[in-house]
Amino acid sequence: MTAHITRRQLLAASAAVPLGLSFSRASMAADWASVQRAARGQTVYFNAWAGSERINAYLQWAGAEVAQRWGVKLEHVKISDTAEVVKRVRAEKQAGRLTDGSVDAVWINGENFLAMKRDGLLFGPFAESLLSYAGVDTLGKPTTKVDFSEPVDGMEAPWGMAQLTFYADGKKVPQPPRSMAELVEFAKRNPGRVSYPKPPNFHGTTFLKQMLLEAHTDRKPFYAPVQADAFARLSAPLWSTLDALHPSLWRQGRQFPASNVAMRQMLTDGELLINLTFNPNEAATEIDAKRLPESVQSWQHSAGTIGNTHFLAIPFNARAKEGAQVLIDFLLSPQAQARKADIRFWGDPTVLALDRLAAADKALFAQAQAPGVVTQSAPALPEPHATWVEAIEREWLRRYGQ
Amino acid sequence: MTPPRRRPLWALPALAFGVPLFAALWFGVSQAVDGDAWRRLFADSQFAPALRLSVWVGSASTGLSLLAMLWLVTRLHGTRTWLSIKAALGGLLAVPHAAFAVGLALLLMPSGWLSRALALVTGWESPPDIATVQDPAGLALIFGLVLKEVPFLLWNVAAQLERVGQGAELTRQLQVAATLGYAPATAWARVLWPQLLPRLALPLLAVWAYGFTVVDMALVLGPTRPPTLAVLAWQWLQDADDATNRQGAAAALLLTGVMATAAVVAMLAWQAARPALLRRWTRGDRPAFVEQRASVLPVFVAAVYAAVLALLLFTSLVGVWTYPALWPARWSFDAWHTVAASLPTLGVTALLALGSAGIGVLLAVTWMETTPAHWDARAAWGVFVPMLVPGVLLVAGLYRVTLALRLDGTLGGLWLAHSLYVAPYVLVTLAPAYRSFDVRMQQTAHALGRSHAAFLWRVKWPMLLAPLASSFAVGFAVSVTQYLSTQFIGAGRHASVTTEALTLASGGQRNLAAAFSVLQGALPAAVFAVAWRWGRRQARRLEAHSSAVA
Repeated sequence: MTAHITRRQLLAASAAVPLGLSFSRASMAADWASVQRAARGQTVYFNAWAGSERINAYLQWAGAEVAQRWGVKLEHVKISDTAEVVKRVRAEKQAGRLTDGSVDAVWINGENFLAMKRDGLLFGPFAESLLSYAGVDTLGKPTTKVDFSEPVDGMEAPWGMAQLTFYADGKKVPQPPRSMAELVEFAKRNPGRVSYPKPPNFHGTTFLKQMLLEAHTDRKPFYAPVQADAFARLSAPLWSTLDALHPSLWRQGRQFPASNVAMRQMLTDGELLINLTFNPNEAATEIDAKRLPESVQSWQHSAGTIGNTHFLAIPFNARAKEGAQVLIDFLLSPQAQARKADIRFWGDPTVLALDRLAAADKALFAQAQAPGVVTQSAPALPEPHATWVEAIEREWLRRYGQ
Repeated sequence: MTPPRRRPLWALPALAFGVPLFAALWFGVSQAVDGDAWRRLFADSQFAPALRLSVWVGSASTGLSLLAMLWLVTRLHGTRTWLSIKAALGGLLAVPHAAFAVGLALLLMPSGWLSRALALVTGWESPPDIATVQDPAGLALIFGLVLKEVPFLLWNVAAQLERVGQGAELTRQLQVAATLGYAPATAWARVLWPQLLPRLALPLLAVWAYGFTVVDMALVLGPTRPPTLAVLAWQWLQDADDATNRQGAAAALLLTGVMATAAVVAMLAWQAARPALLRRWTRGDRPAFVEQRASVLPVFVAAVYAAVLALLLFTSLVGVWTYPALWPARWSFDAWHTVAASLPTLGVTALLALGSAGIGVLLAVTWMETTPAHWDARAAWGVFVPMLVPGVLLVAGLYRVTLALRLDGTLGGLWLAHSLYVAPYVLVTLAPAYRSFDVRMQQTAHALGRSHAAFLWRVKWPMLLAPLASSFAVGFAVSVTQYLSTQFIGAGRHASVTTEALTLASGGQRNLAAAFSVLQGALPAAVFAVAWRWGRRQARRLEAHSSAVA
């Protein structure tokens, strides 16, 4: 198994090196003006999850801006799952389509980024030579440099911040549980009204990772590849907590919702009391859209919750690489980031360091405290190494999967 | 059987259809040729229970649908109810599976309308913690499948009974049996079903295969822990990781293998059971006549369909609707605003559907005009591949074909892909009527010195207008509901009503999903309605014509 992966990685790496080198030299040497010149008139097919009307509307606004300023045409290719894009680019590479690919830019992170980077499917490094990159808060937000324990290496540009956040109707849950231990107690007091999405759903797995991290004070082992004996020992508290929790869950833990989106609907229906999300402003934007009552409150566990960053990347065979860079540069600019952070438009937290911005740019981010936002933010815990994810998911499925 | 004219022409539809299909199949299956993938599949702890569940869902839904069909036809054939059922079938068939599943879930789920109505009595303040959809035994999924498959089977029975010549013969046999003192139920059981059931073998197999491999309905209504094997295969094939993809391809191939095995087993079982059944059927006694009125079942089915469609429309307009209120606190046109904003997708959808249904009818007619009827068996494997091979596997292969031809991301590539899925359905729906067209008509036309073309244009096709139009409508509906092929081969650049519905539904907005489901159903329904009217008008004209001649 290890030999297999190593060989594949080597192959992917050897395929990527000549391309990567020539591109990196080219993009380092080229000044930004020439990129902008080449971008004019290009059409950028931006593949991005389209499950939210607000995000789609935001991208329409961004498209109008880049068209007007730099003559770049943005086409939002609406997808329901980023894995589709990974598969498409991989199939293009296998079919020998090394230029003229169908994807120019993609919204990505985590395992999809890992798969594309490992298989040599990405263009770059490009991110750190973007004009707007100087404003990124790489110190205060270390996940902009390490995506799920995988070094970013400039192969994707940070776009927005995410941190595991819980929300509930304050009328029904006046004292929200601020740790996993409290959550277990809460579930026991409210049987059948708590659940989490079924792993390997992204949010479901994150819930497990959060529980695992909360069970340990020494978290160093989780940031290195998982070892079998260490896994058995270190994950034991996770399974005993789940064994205690499951009988009090929705359907006594015999069934799990498909996603946190399904859970949001179940929350509004009153079937569940608590939902979890990676967007700390989700409840606020949903309240703003009148889909959640104003009494909904958001919180994070007081000892910290898992946080990560989502990114923008360019496939190796993109047709409009310059156009894509111009677009991404704009999406990282204070103006675009401020609009994105505004809960009236999207409510996605910025990757920029606000204290380093010019006063005028900083003012763009000023907004009134909206109902539903996280009032007391907790520290962000980095994602465990990707190998832990696989091990946890496999063990969860073995124990509770059928 | 007339000798086929211009014989080599048959190669045209065969090649146009067979070559891309074979290439796609080759690419798709080659994904699954990987020992490691099979090892991973068999080692997966979800594999065995998921496969068991799939077999159970396929078998239970087929068994129940078959029972319902036997019961309904036996009791109701020849009554006024039967006529109204027949008239309603097209409409019921036109409701897309996915849309139906969404609507049924809205009806049945713990926070659904039924539960809210019950809450009036029980005083529930929050939805009950009972698995009314996605239950572990798959009962909700089986229920949904039966409701969708019974109309399909009835439609097949009706098509068999209306075949020129044979239909009238069967009706005569019923009359003879009645004259001999057999109750209609006995006549059906002893005389008609033994003749009809073998002809329904393929539709029944299709029903089993559908229940066994369905993904969209299973995602909405089916169990989750584990899900059916088809859902697992689909999830694995969706994964970004190549090894997981291959595991999914292996699972999809395994599904196909199990299906082929099941078909063989069913055939052998039929052969084995035949002698005993024949003895029973030909015993000659006349069991006591039991009068039964059986209009409850059709009324029930109609009520569920009506409720499902009404709920889809209702939910598309719901703003805020807290449990257990029967009526929303706030209405909202947001969903329909979004639909209006994506109206261009309606154009793409209709264009593709018209184009692929058109080519489908053209291929089917060319095939049947240039080959004798018994050649249909030779085409059967090709025809059933797109129906039976799990969509994900074939689409992955088809995508590689369009990549090689540089057709990916183009409307041309989409047209090709949709046509491959549409053509088989058109052929299957058109063949019974087309193949049984009275040969004497052709002989008469030729005897009168008219050319073959004149015969086709002036006699055959006008007389077959109704089946031609309805097979076109079926093809149209198949194209509209294509999701995977549209998304993959269109590189996501050409959104259709269905892809739009599913990507927006991934955001979980119930009113939006409902609105697009309504649209997804309305488009084919409109075409079915036109086809039906056309067929009726033509039938009236022909009737008037023949009575004028007489």
